[in-house]
Amino acid sequence: MVYQHVRDGRFQRSLSLISALSSFVSGLEVAYEHYKGSYSNLIMYSPVILSGVVTGAACCAFFSRRAAENVLRVTSAITLADGIIGFGFHIRGIQRKPGGWRLPITNIIMGPPIFAPLLFGTAAYLGFMASYLRREEDSKYGHIRYSGWRRELNEGRFQKHLAAVAALWTLFSGAEAWYSHYKSRFRIWAQWTPLVISPIQLAACIGAIFSERIARKMLPATSVITMANGGMGFFYHVRGIVRRPGGAKTWLYNILYGPPVFAPLLFAACGFLGVLASALRREKR
Amino acid sequence: MKSPLLGRFESPHEKDKRILGPLQRISRQYRHYLDSEEVDYCVVGVGSAGGVLLQRLAKAGFSVVGLEAGPFWDPERDWVSDEKGSHKLYWNNLRITGGEDPLTFGENNSGKGVGGGSVHWAAFAPRFHPSDFRVYSEDGVAVDWPISYDDLKPYYELLEREIPVAGPAYFPWGDPHGYPYGPHPLGGVGDVLVKGCTKLGIRVCAGGPVAILSGSHGNRPHCIYRGFCIQGCKVGAKASTLITHVPEALDYGAEVRELSMAFRIGMRDKDHVNGVFYYDRDGHEHFQRAKAVIVAGYAIETPRLLLNSACPGHEHGLANSSGVVGRYLMAQAGNVVLGRFPSLIRMYKAPPAHAMTEEFYETDPGRGFARGFAIQSVAPLPIAFAKQMMTAIGAWGWGMRRVLMDYNHWATLGVLGEILPWPDNRVEIADEKDEYGIPVPKVTFNLHDNDKKMIEFGKKKVMEVMWAAGAEQVVQESRYAHLVGAARMGSDPATSVVDKFGRTHDVHNLFICDGSILPTQGSANPGLTIQSLAARTADYLISQGEKIWTSDKRDMTPPPIRRHLAVRDSFTKGVPRLFR
Amino acid sequence: MIETQTGEQLLPVDPTTKRPRKPTRQPGYYPGYSTMSQKNFWDAATRQTVEKRVYDVPEIRFFSPEELPLMQAVCDRVLPQHDRLPQYRIPIVNYIDERLFKNEIDGYRYEDMPPDREAHPLGLKAINETASAMYNKPFLDLGPLEQDYVLKSIHDGEKKAALDIWSRMSIQRYWHLLVQDCVAAYYAHPWAWDEIGYGGPAYPRAYTRLENGDPEPWEKDEQRYEWEAPATSISDKYEESAAGAGTTHHGQGGTH
Repeated sequence: MVYQHVRDGRFQRSLSLISALSSFVSGLEVAYEHYKGSYSNLIMYSPVILSGVVTGAACCAFFSRRAAENVLRVTSAITLADGIIGFGFHIRGIQRKPGGWRLPITNIIMGPPIFAPLLFGTAAYLGFMASYLRREEDSKYGHIRYSGWRRELNEGRFQKHLAAVAALWTLFSGAEAWYSHYKSRFRIWAQWTPLVISPIQLAACIGAIFSERIARKMLPATSVITMANGGMGFFYHVRGIVRRPGGAKTWLYNILYGPPVFAPLLFAACGFLGVLASALRREKR
Repeated sequence: MKSPLLGRFESPHEKDKRILGPLQRISRQYRHYLDSEEVDYCVVGVGSAGGVLLQRLAKAGFSVVGLEAGPFWDPERDWVSDEKGSHKLYWNNLRITGGEDPLTFGENNSGKGVGGGSVHWAAFAPRFHPSDFRVYSEDGVAVDWPISYDDLKPYYELLEREIPVAGPAYFPWGDPHGYPYGPHPLGGVGDVLVKGCTKLGIRVCAGGPVAILSGSHGNRPHCIYRGFCIQGCKVGAKASTLITHVPEALDYGAEVRELSMAFRIGMRDKDHVNGVFYYDRDGHEHFQRAKAVIVAGYAIETPRLLLNSACPGHEHGLANSSGVVGRYLMAQAGNVVLGRFPSLIRMYKAPPAHAMTEEFYETDPGRGFARGFAIQSVAPLPIAFAKQMMTAIGAWGWGMRRVLMDYNHWATLGVLGEILPWPDNRVEIADEKDEYGIPVPKVTFNLHDNDKKMIEFGKKKVMEVMWAAGAEQVVQESRYAHLVGAARMGSDPATSVVDKFGRTHDVHNLFICDGSILPTQGSANPGLTIQSLAARTADYLISQGEKIWTSDKRDMTPPPIRRHLAVRDSFTKGVPRLFR
Repeated sequence: MIETQTGEQLLPVDPTTKRPRKPTRQPGYYPGYSTMSQKNFWDAATRQTVEKRVYDVPEIRFFSPEELPLMQAVCDRVLPQHDRLPQYRIPIVNYIDERLFKNEIDGYRYEDMPPDREAHPLGLKAINETASAMYNKPFLDLGPLEQDYVLKSIHDGEKKAALDIWSRMSIQRYWHLLVQDCVAAYYAHPWAWDEIGYGGPAYPRAYTRLENGDPEPWEKDEQRYEWEAPATSISDKYEESAAGAGTTHHGQGGTH
């Protein structure tokens, strides 16, 4: 039944909830990451505030169609724009470090995480998509509106579209995993796994854009592996935090400077998107 | 990669600019006064306190000249990322040191050049505890301050924003408070301190409080964790008044006169000064006229200048009717405990200062001595480490080579202990003269019973922490850190040199504002306190206006705090303070 | 390069084979590590300072022709370098000579010490007199082990001769001055940084891996080997707090 709802694009309430959750998690992450950067520029507060707003809007969208089609749509769009602006600021931040872009590896590792704002923006994009879906209680043929790409969302025909989003997400979060694991020198073998898995998932996502066969057969498999890997990563990151000097006694500091606890969950999310995409119908075009 | 993209790094060709950091530049052109022009304030020494004073007074509209014995640094061209090459940052002119437990100077505690000691401090910036201001009342030793913690607290909060200080959101000791910039990541030594303390149940603070940026601050970048704090921060992430206060002072018309060595304070009459005699870079004598003089030369040069300014009516030195000038000099016990670990540490990475505990700061009657100590991360570079091994284990020859080959296995923690003020620890004038012909200072230092007990206890405690962290060999070296006292403030002119605003008791328009006015020193690094006192003194002078230059009356009303005089953009950056 | 003693008996020994270890270009546990290979990543001022130190060794201008060989022999024992190929030995004496010639001091002088420029020549004289008192020979004519015993007596603060000199100059402080000058010269050199695995200059590029002793991509992992000091030396043995009796000795560098 869930499958049918997804195929029909009747999952606005569920996707709103998921988007609330991912917005909340990425909001927490950006809050403490920017705390590490000391909020030295007032704009650093914007993603923290916006993620709270999107979380609230997405929760409202769970209860109200109007909220979903208005508030959630607008706030997600603004947040998406904020992510893109943030990407610009992070590029500038790297450029302003000593040596700037002439020391690309050092300064990408030690500077503001370059893809994090885009990842943040992608999370907001979920809310944006949710705003165009139909609600679970709608009948199979009811409430079909709009035209063009919005109609496709409306009808649940956006497999290629979502596969593309998942591909971007995989790229950003895989790149984050690459440079942060490189920074800690691949101390344990498991740190290699997201680097091995993310290109496969990326290939599957890109393949799914061009081939329905890949979308239906390969993408679910790689996506499940990705989700499992994200779950495992979450475990290792928590363990890494507990094993830091001071362990649980200096937990606040260790969450700040230990392995980023939510990052593997964001990686797992690209698996989730892949599963979702594989269940959707394809665009007619 | 053999090279950065686009080839090796070269110095920028901006001849007319002083390059303070990768992004921060100031013009080499600024206001100059003639010797014959009578300025409102002449500040002797542009260091931690002098830089703040210049900025505040100039911003409030006074004409002010800062005489600095050393150069006006251009960090990009003058400073190097090298231990030996940084020798020039320190006050290396001759001082004679003696007593049973002689102090050392130079790189240990004395800076030269604009920014002074704040150029080469490790930048730990904790506040003093409320108890530090009432040491005599609480413990029956030393002396009380003429001000309380609450008098200084607003200035601590202000300066922590201005320079700014990075640290945890909640700092549990003394008057608990949070910091305006987030904490830093730990390096190997901080990990050792956190591990050892946690194992022993000692609370520990990771990632600060240090005056090093954990986020960019306008045109000053985030710290890059290179570990050369004590060699001068070319990055501009570590605060020094050279990059925090002096640029704004110049913008508001202050003059910083480099390579100008003050040697005597001029007198208008017995109770008033009228300027400062100094030698310029070529050794020519000058006299800068001023309506008031503020001496900010730190704990050796300030008493030296006062003592060298002896004149009829002030036979034992200027402002020295009490005989206290030069006395009650203090250094903190800075014993370094070194531990060898089976795994690699590589302590040269990350700022030396990044983790500490003040769990043993306050007096504990069970320990058998008054006052206490802090434990802090330190991280000597190879030359300093080799010298420590020479004293710690008597290393030489093949033994020295062997222990240095293990440099990357060692971690070091420092005691920072409160040595009490004693009258026999003092600065005097020797017969010898320096290259200018100015008599050099002679410093005598002895440890007393309470100090020795504290050092013994502190050293053992840090060794315990080191063992608990997993060290397989632990040794220690005795040393000192910081210098304060020698022109202390107090309410009684018979036992102190300056009043609670830094005005000398004997001379109405002569002020002292630097570490030398501290009556006691706590177990906190003095940098932040010195700068906070300077901001407070500046507020007082601004409140008093012109009358303080001529009036013999002393208005002891505390001034209102002038937040609008803080360095620009201080309030738009940083995290909200949850605990104040 | 000033003449130094040579011979197998001066070399560190491999404890398993009991054979002397061959002198190498770069002793230490970080073979192949080179800080100088990274100099393009340093800022111009630092690069010039370090390059000058390596490629533009100062000439001897302070020590007299009589003092020079003695100073060289003393430094060869205080910080021996026989495990290095002769062309890769660090010219300690030249750097000390430069400091004394330029009269660069550390900002203080102990009241029981003469100025550094007098202390070094006086110390050499005292070392020679101690050698004569102990072995009836000048220091330069002694074997390495005997030279070590002479220096060890000064290390331990034993005034075996030259009482007039030691009455003008604290024996422990002289020893510290000598050792400090040697280590300050040796460990300022990039070859010594390579030996001990120290990262060297770090601006504009600094460090990314702060914890767990992890090397940067351009640094090397440690590769330990066992070695024993040559049998002709006694300087590898030390006890804790062996820095001489009598006065308390305080360290002098800046750390916090």
